[in-house]
Amino acid sequence: MHIEYVPSTLVWGVELGGGDKQGSKGERHAICKVITIVGAVVVAVLFYKFYSSFLATPDLPEFDLNVWWGRNTSNGQDTSIRPYRILFSDSMQENLRRKMEAYRRATRVKSLEDDSTYGINYDVLGQIFAHWQFKYKYGSRVKYLNQYNHYITNVQGLDIHFMRIKPKNTENLKVVPLLLIHGWPSSVRDFYGIIPLLTSAKPEYNFVFEVIAPSLPGFAFSQAPVRPGLTTYQMAIVLRNLMERIGHKQFYVHGGDIGHAIGSHIATLFPNQVLGFHSSTPVNPSKLAHLTLMLGAICPKCVANDLVDKIYPYTDKLQFYLEESGYLHLQSTKPDTVGIALQDSPLGLASYIIEKYLLFTDPANKYTHDGGLSAFNVTDLMDNVLIYWSTGSITTSLRLYKESILNYEMEETLSSIPTSVPTWGLRTKYDLIQQPDFILRWKYPNLVRTTNLDVGGHFAAFEKPVEVSSDIFEAVKFFSTMKK
Amino acid sequence: MGKLLVLTVLITIVGIATWCALPMLLPQSPPQLDANEWWGPMDMKGKVDASIKPFQVKFTEEMIKDLKNRLQNKRQLVPPLEGIGFEYGFNSKEIEPWAKYWSEEYKFGDREKFLNKFPQYKTNIQGLNIHFIRVKPQVQPGVTVVPLLLMHGWPGSVREFYEAIPLLTKPVSGYDFAFEVIVPSLPGYGFSDAAVRPGLGSAQIGVIFKNLMNRLGHKKFYIQGGDWGAIIASQMATMFQNDILGMHSNMLIVQTGCSTLKILVGALFPSLIVESHLADRMYPLWKYFSYLMEEFGYMHLQATKPDTVGVALSDSPTGLLSYILEKFSSWTRFEHRTLVNGGLTFRFSKDQLIDNLMVYWASNSITTSMRLYAENMSNKNRALDIDKFSTSVPAWALQAKNELFYQPPNILKHKYSNLLGVTVLDDGGHFIAFEMPKVFADDVFKAVKLFRDFHKTKTEL
Repeated sequence: MHIEYVPSTLVWGVELGGGDKQGSKGERHAICKVITIVGAVVVAVLFYKFYSSFLATPDLPEFDLNVWWGRNTSNGQDTSIRPYRILFSDSMQENLRRKMEAYRRATRVKSLEDDSTYGINYDVLGQIFAHWQFKYKYGSRVKYLNQYNHYITNVQGLDIHFMRIKPKNTENLKVVPLLLIHGWPSSVRDFYGIIPLLTSAKPEYNFVFEVIAPSLPGFAFSQAPVRPGLTTYQMAIVLRNLMERIGHKQFYVHGGDIGHAIGSHIATLFPNQVLGFHSSTPVNPSKLAHLTLMLGAICPKCVANDLVDKIYPYTDKLQFYLEESGYLHLQSTKPDTVGIALQDSPLGLASYIIEKYLLFTDPANKYTHDGGLSAFNVTDLMDNVLIYWSTGSITTSLRLYKESILNYEMEETLSSIPTSVPTWGLRTKYDLIQQPDFILRWKYPNLVRTTNLDVGGHFAAFEKPVEVSSDIFEAVKFFSTMKK
Repeated sequence: MGKLLVLTVLITIVGIATWCALPMLLPQSPPQLDANEWWGPMDMKGKVDASIKPFQVKFTEEMIKDLKNRLQNKRQLVPPLEGIGFEYGFNSKEIEPWAKYWSEEYKFGDREKFLNKFPQYKTNIQGLNIHFIRVKPQVQPGVTVVPLLLMHGWPGSVREFYEAIPLLTKPVSGYDFAFEVIVPSLPGYGFSDAAVRPGLGSAQIGVIFKNLMNRLGHKKFYIQGGDWGAIIASQMATMFQNDILGMHSNMLIVQTGCSTLKILVGALFPSLIVESHLADRMYPLWKYFSYLMEEFGYMHLQATKPDTVGVALSDSPTGLLSYILEKFSSWTRFEHRTLVNGGLTFRFSKDQLIDNLMVYWASNSITTSMRLYAENMSNKNRALDIDKFSTSVPAWALQAKNELFYQPPNILKHKYSNLLGVTVLDDGGHFIAFEMPKVFADDVFKAVKLFRDFHKTKTEL
């Protein structure tokens, strides 16, 4: 290859013409210096502008707190709180029996591998099918689900379902309200283990919880909106309005998964009303957080300390997210399409939901023969599936993902606005997204503490009720000592 | 300091240019795959023969009764959001009329007869019983019969070619040849067996189809494909350059480092890459990427967890309908996404679309069909990197207006050094053979004539 030597005088298009081609050495160096400095300043300014656009704290937007999500009706709104009972009707049971007995097409395909790398393993599916068909007792399960008090009240046009459990023995104890927010593909069923622990006095604490656990709009027993737009921060408004309807102007919040996102929005929009926020999936979802962790790959230990193995190598993590986020991509774009199938096929719904419980509690389950099913009581998993099935709410639950994508800019804005609400993060061993404390503090400057469990996965409250409820008690004890 | 900078820039430019030119400078050999790889049950190995058995599609009474039960006993669906067409996916308001038509008006007997109108067969290749249609033309002396392999994709089937087959297997004035068409069902699709172990990606399907053509007596042949068929065709044209006489594709895309670089450069200077009236088919890039993100959720899911969603789709005919027909809506015309009925019957009849669904339903093949996405995304198959090798097989691209991908000839030529030309349509979508069979068949004739002339010139030299 012939490479031509080009004199430096011509590089910047500046020709030192005139007689003496050499020019004075000093002159040449001076121009080079000036240009280099100018260039460096320009690059620095551009970089600063780019980075600071992430660092800038936007103003908190104004939200309409009374958006009507239901059908337009001339009837007045009924703001009463009505008791509610979960039903597994005879017709639903009969319909399920017939569907199960039908020519078992789905179970005739064989898995390619003896694990779950292509999705749910069909031997595991067979076990779920058998359990549902022969072991699941609707009568006793619906009784179990109704052991807590259920209610419905209309908020912003939607009948919102919630459970309200008051502690029994409250002698010498302060009763504090705690809002539990579930995620996807979960339901209030995830909290059945921690509720008795939260509503029972513990000797070390002088307070006990009154628990309010709603179903998110469009999930389970809560109505779904009739028009687009009900994204996570709108749900935050609905839930805060629900708490006020119940009579709680100030309250503590616990959430995981989408429950974390919604809880975080409540803390951001209504900081004077949230006494403390406990999250079992503490995450700062802003672009700045992602960018910092990505750049942190240069020195993982500098950025992540003890969490270094859970965040780096970053490329491994990205590959994992790519492999596991197909459902997210589909639901964020075409929820109604797959919803039609999931509403019609009980086994299809069970596969879709239980696959997440198996994979997200321990990523190694993908490679085991039983997919991790043996770690669960299948009845517990089926309760949740039946809640989605009996209410036909899978489609509307999926739409939340599309709403979030359609309103991505506002979600990003809100995630960049810090909240002064005292916050406490619980990290489980296998949870999907882990971030170091300093990144969480950008969003939660009053992050009091983070607990790191060496057990558990994504569905912390469901998997480890003892540890999670203990942690909530500890967190609220701390919160209550902080000056508001 | 300035010298260093200039040197760096020059070396970078020279480096990129060399890297782009490399495939043409150094001899490149695409990978050779095992032509005898066994995809069936191990205990069948050595026990199958090469016989070709006639096959008939059969809609059994039991299957029809069960299907109707499922269609009629479906549960109440959630209504779509106000003001929405197909933006959130298949509009549930349309499910009732489609389910009613399928269970009450679709004439299973007549349609079964229709699907059997062409002679079809099964033969065992590498452990799998491969289903195919084979139609030989009736020709006068002086008209040559040339073999043409037609390959469908997802979520299509051999049904996509039923209107084009009669047009291809009839002599057309102005041409001294007509086609013998061989139209197989892809392994794992329709009436072809599915692999029982991992690894059967598009390249491996190419090997199976070459073996199929050889078994039928065709050592050299022409190929045509859309969707997965186009990808298989592209890989066959790369791996078997001496045996593929010509390739016609209605979804021709090239993915090499150089072509990607060019596309990026074109984002700044489109006129360097593409004609101005076609620029909006690939630019602006952000618009194109957001469209891909919007439409490719299914691909992301199927490439990672096909078996999970397959359970629901095997179990629910309305679920299968919505999942598949959603593609026939938005991939025929982008604008159909805003319509409540998805514009489904814009160019297709209800019977046509349900015929295709029946191929999936009757064979219970939706899950195995989706596994192809996962196989192609496997590290092993991506490492083959067949796409980066160029081929001298003469090629022709039919480019419909609403196809998912568009690349201009100068980019396509990075892989197809003998790209003889392209037909750009200002109409039509992804399923072009199905949607516009006459346009499709005419274009195939035109292309193959040019391929034959190309070969004549080569032998005369």
